Amino acid sequence: MPRYAMVIDQRRCIGCMACVVACKRENNVPEEHYRTRVVEIVEGTFPKVRMELRPELCNHCKNAPCVYNCPTGASYKKEDGIVLVNKKRCVGCKACIAACPYDARFIDPRNGAAHKCTFCEHRIKEGKEPACVTTCLSRARIFGDLDDPQSIVSKICAEKHLRILIAEAGTKPSVYYLSLQPLT
Amino acid sequence: MKEIAITGANAITYPHLEIWNWAISIYLFLGGMVAGLMVLGAISQFRPSSTTDAGRPFVCYLAPVLSPILLSIGMFFIFLDLSRKLNAFWFYLNFNIMSPMSWGAWGVGLIIPLSTLWALASIPEEHRHYLRWPKLHDFSFKISAYRNKLAGVNLALGIFLGIYTGVLLSGYVARPLWNSAVLPLFFLNSGLVSGSAMIILIARNYQEKLYFTKLNIWLTTAEIVLVLLFYYSHLTSTAPHREALIPFFTAVLFAGIIFPIALELPVITARRPAPLRVHLIAVLILLGNLAIRVAFVYVGQLSSLSDIARR
Ligand code: SF4
Ligand code: SF4
Repeated sequence: MPRYAMVIDQRRCIGCMACVVACKRENNVPEEHYRTRVVEIVEGTFPKVRMELRPELCNHCKNAPCVYNCPTGASYKKEDGIVLVNKKRCVGCKACIAACPYDARFIDPRNGAAHKCTFCEHRIKEGKEPACVTTCLSRARIFGDLDDPQSIVSKICAEKHLRILIAEAGTKPSVYYLSLQPLT
Repeated sequence: MKEIAITGANAITYPHLEIWNWAISIYLFLGGMVAGLMVLGAISQFRPSSTTDAGRPFVCYLAPVLSPILLSIGMFFIFLDLSRKLNAFWFYLNFNIMSPMSWGAWGVGLIIPLSTLWALASIPEEHRHYLRWPKLHDFSFKISAYRNKLAGVNLALGIFLGIYTGVLLSGYVARPLWNSAVLPLFFLNSGLVSGSAMIILIARNYQEKLYFTKLNIWLTTAEIVLVLLFYYSHLTSTAPHREALIPFFTAVLFAGIIFPIALELPVITARRPAPLRVHLIAVLILLGNLAIRVAFVYVGQLSSLSDIARR
């Protein structure tokens, strides 16, 4: 059984937002809502300025608070590590949105159900990569199977020092960050 | 200097979470008050004077009758908040042991019928004729023999009801203000405070009103201790917890507790305080507790762990 993960190489991100657009297009994400975002943090005063570009999305946490807080079982985790929402079961109680430390969820205004990144599960089934990964022109997003030692993500995870966001939340994310500067 | 720009931010989560509104605050307030009514009503039922219909204080009838009604109103507000209302039956086709909301849905589903039974069992003989249907009348007579047993069950359910909303909010690591183990106890205690204030307002007997006003002072004193512990737990925790205690929240919290108790204290020292004054204090206590619940819902959503990842 594969164990999907994403590595985000922040050194390569140029902040073009192509991933944000590709995700919206691919997944028919409702107006004014997003499954992925790019955070730009500019620090300092000219000429000593530093910029961090950080693409963010659902971390498909191994210990996912959205899943264990869902009262109806609508939020669930597949064996391959992907966290999904079964909208037929969702009551729109928003417990999962309150529980997610990464603010990765929202309510789809078209049907009232919780909505989030699926790692483009439909594309994975066809042997393709998520739309944001395929679109990224600088290859800052790398997707693959951690259980396959030959996959690029496995190799990066084995060789590089990676970080995760908000480690203190204890969610064990499947999205890793490769960066020059320490992440909080 | 630091500048943050986000392409792809969702308005309901950035700059802060905005998912639960006044409807949830009202549910929390009513749920807490019902918990208080159930606990205080059941305890009054166990007092030695309550063995006969004549000796039982009014609260022994009042609390069981009001509980299912007020809780059903609270449930209506929860229902209003659901964004997929027609799917609400899924709450009862699934039980997630790790989800406090699942515990709550099943718990409330159990409390409404059991408190209704308690209400039927508690109706005194001389008022039973208000039950129009003869079968209901007979049923009320039959189960009145189990009045004490039902009070015991409702006492336990009242404590559950008072605590679970606090457990629900305190379990969210993502929202530092709510994430404190003191919150469930604070919610239970504040439920007892509003329950006793409600009893003060509707009790028929002046002595009973005075008795619950005195009890209310003790409960409010406990509330102050719990608020201080709540603050202590945050102040000694990490930065997001410390920052969650923003000034206006502090103001609401203390105004909701200190102001009513300041008015309440002279009532105790007076020999026979005017009933109007006793009622006024009860109303202020209820408003104070409502303000506290509203503040908890809104300020809890302002505090966010993901903020620190961006600093
Ligand atoms: S990032 Fe949020 S929505 Fe995604 S799995 Fe983790 S807790 Fe759930
Ligand atoms: S909004 Fe839907 S997916 Fe989220 S916790 Fe409620 S029922 Fe589960």
